[in-house]
Amino acid sequence: MVVGIKDALKLIGISIIACCAVFVCTLFLDYNIDIAAMKNEITTAGGITMYNAIVSTGKVVAAVSGGCLAITSVIMLLFYVKNYIDTHGRELGILKALGYSNFKIAKHFWVFGSSVFVGCALGYGLAFLYLPSFYELQNAEHLFPEIKVQFHLSVAFLLVGVPAISFAALAVIYACFRLKTPVLDLLKEKCAYKAAVSEKETKDMPFLKELTRSTVRSRKSFVFFIAFSAFCFSAMVQMSMSMTDLSSKEMAVMILTIGLILAFMTLFLSLSSVVKGNTKTIAMMRVFGYKHSDCSKAVLGGYRPFSYIGFAIGTIYQYALLKIMVTIVFADVGNVPEYSFDFTACAITLGLFIPTYEIAMYGYSRRIKKLPLKSVMLE
Amino acid sequence: MISISDIEKSYGNAGNKNQVLKRISLQITDGDFVVILGASGSGKSTFLNVISGLERPDSGSVIYGTTDITKLSDGALTQFRKDNIGFIFQQYYLLPNMTVEKNVRMGADLAGNREYREMITAVGLEDKTGKYPGELSGGEQQRVSVARALAKKPKTLFLDEPTGALDEQTGRQVLDYICRLHKEYGFTIVMVTHNQNIAEMANTIIKMNSGKIAAVYTNEKQKTAYEIGW
Ligand SMILES: Nc1ncnc2c1ncn2[C@@H]1O[C@H](COP(=O)(O)OP(=O)(O)OP(=O)(O)O)[C@@H](O)[C@H]1O
Ligand SMILES: [Mg+2]
Repeated sequence: MVVGIKDALKLIGISIIACCAVFVCTLFLDYNIDIAAMKNEITTAGGITMYNAIVSTGKVVAAVSGGCLAITSVIMLLFYVKNYIDTHGRELGILKALGYSNFKIAKHFWVFGSSVFVGCALGYGLAFLYLPSFYELQNAEHLFPEIKVQFHLSVAFLLVGVPAISFAALAVIYACFRLKTPVLDLLKEKCAYKAAVSEKETKDMPFLKELTRSTVRSRKSFVFFIAFSAFCFSAMVQMSMSMTDLSSKEMAVMILTIGLILAFMTLFLSLSSVVKGNTKTIAMMRVFGYKHSDCSKAVLGGYRPFSYIGFAIGTIYQYALLKIMVTIVFADVGNVPEYSFDFTACAITLGLFIPTYEIAMYGYSRRIKKLPLKSVMLE
Repeated sequence: MISISDIEKSYGNAGNKNQVLKRISLQITDGDFVVILGASGSGKSTFLNVISGLERPDSGSVIYGTTDITKLSDGALTQFRKDNIGFIFQQYYLLPNMTVEKNVRMGADLAGNREYREMITAVGLEDKTGKYPGELSGGEQQRVSVARALAKKPKTLFLDEPTGALDEQTGRQVLDYICRLHKEYGFTIVMVTHNQNIAEMANTIIKMNSGKIAAVYTNEKQKTAYEIGW
């Protein structure tokens, strides 16, 4: 077998993202379907405006969180497939040299889709357990008749079956595409040096600076993930602070939890991959006598600006999203508090973000310090 | 002068112990060209790693001048390698996403050496400075690693089977570059090899046998890389 379940286990990040996405979408979709069934029983004017507001909120939340998380998982999946092919060039190259067709090798990559299935199924299951409390919460003011939790096969299929099948297919198709690389390039793991930077620009750049640059440039996906992690942290923490006023405490806690899980998981996954991808370089630098702090700075430091950019985008994003929700969705519902940019929340979030990020970086620089030189050399 | 005394090194735990180095003592004079010969598994690489400060022995001392490197902290040992030691390995270990020039700068920057381009010219790669390791032949890659090691102006150069992955012609060429640079800069060379013939290029020949030094010879007349057999 080319790609085993063990390799798929490394895609736990995708599983967690899929789990979060499906969890949120299940809650709102199921609720919207169940509540639509009793639309006719809602008679009071207050009930009808509330109904409209809830249906649109449900749609917006499901679309925004589902959409965002789906895009993230697609990017993550593609990244994993590419990374797998880049780092297993020798094995795959030998298979190709022996005469296996691209498709014959690529079809094993369906295993990567299973991570999505696991995540989706878990998210769906958790959501189903949480649905009764969620229904009560949504109907706290008893504007609607009591709603029973029902199982909707269509929702289950849409949120578990469809993603699992399409992600498996995507993994295979993308692997097939990546495997078109000539056999010799695969064998030499040639993809690695493609990070070509224009010669003139870096002619007189010192080695350490150049290393920072080339580390960042050679794996652009990590730039995205690290920025995304800061984005999640910034957007979700700030949003959850504003949510307490705009919606319920439970919503705030839910958003905070999802945000933090996403943020930490992407950060840890990408930083471990960065360190892992650079072990040989770091070991060689240590052999030559570079200080461990220089190694960590060169390998990890390049990502810092991007994480702050991610933080800024997250701030803007959550502001725009809440503004849109408040002005459009709740337009005809009374007594929704005025929403304006919350500077205190932003300052607190930034105050939490900086130490968290730096501590994570410090943890990984400790890990770099502990890399055993000899095991790398023996490889 | 490097004084090595009573070096012991074992792998494995108490029940299943494999003693690789058995109380080895040796003196290496400055500027010497030492070759370590021995069968596979006799402990040559381990010995090289211990005396170059990549690995710590279980007991014994390795004294460079007056510094006992086995007593240094990790930080001080790193600093020591930075100031004194150069390495060349069988597998080259070049950084794959850096050009030849940047790979050489990795060594040069440590010593503040701004004339690193001379070193690239010295190994005959002046027209390949912008190439990546994946675009070079094995011999060319090993020449880059020679330039990288020497650009940091080491006082002692350690080589572990530098020609192990090369064919005869490229092997001779790489050895010739190393020899010429040795004459020019006068650093100490400690080289591990399988190849008996390469020993004829050295000043001092050390034969290792299952974790011990079996014999030490001095070579009166050193041959060049093109005079030895292969
Ligand atoms: N990290 C390690 N853990 C356990 N055993 C080791 C380790 N490194 C080396 N050994 C053992 O020590 C012995 C000597 O290894 P070493 O690499 O020094 O031999 P060598 O003389 O360099 O051999 P070769 O010529 O094949 O390179 C071997 O039996 C090896 O199995
Ligand atoms: Mg060896």
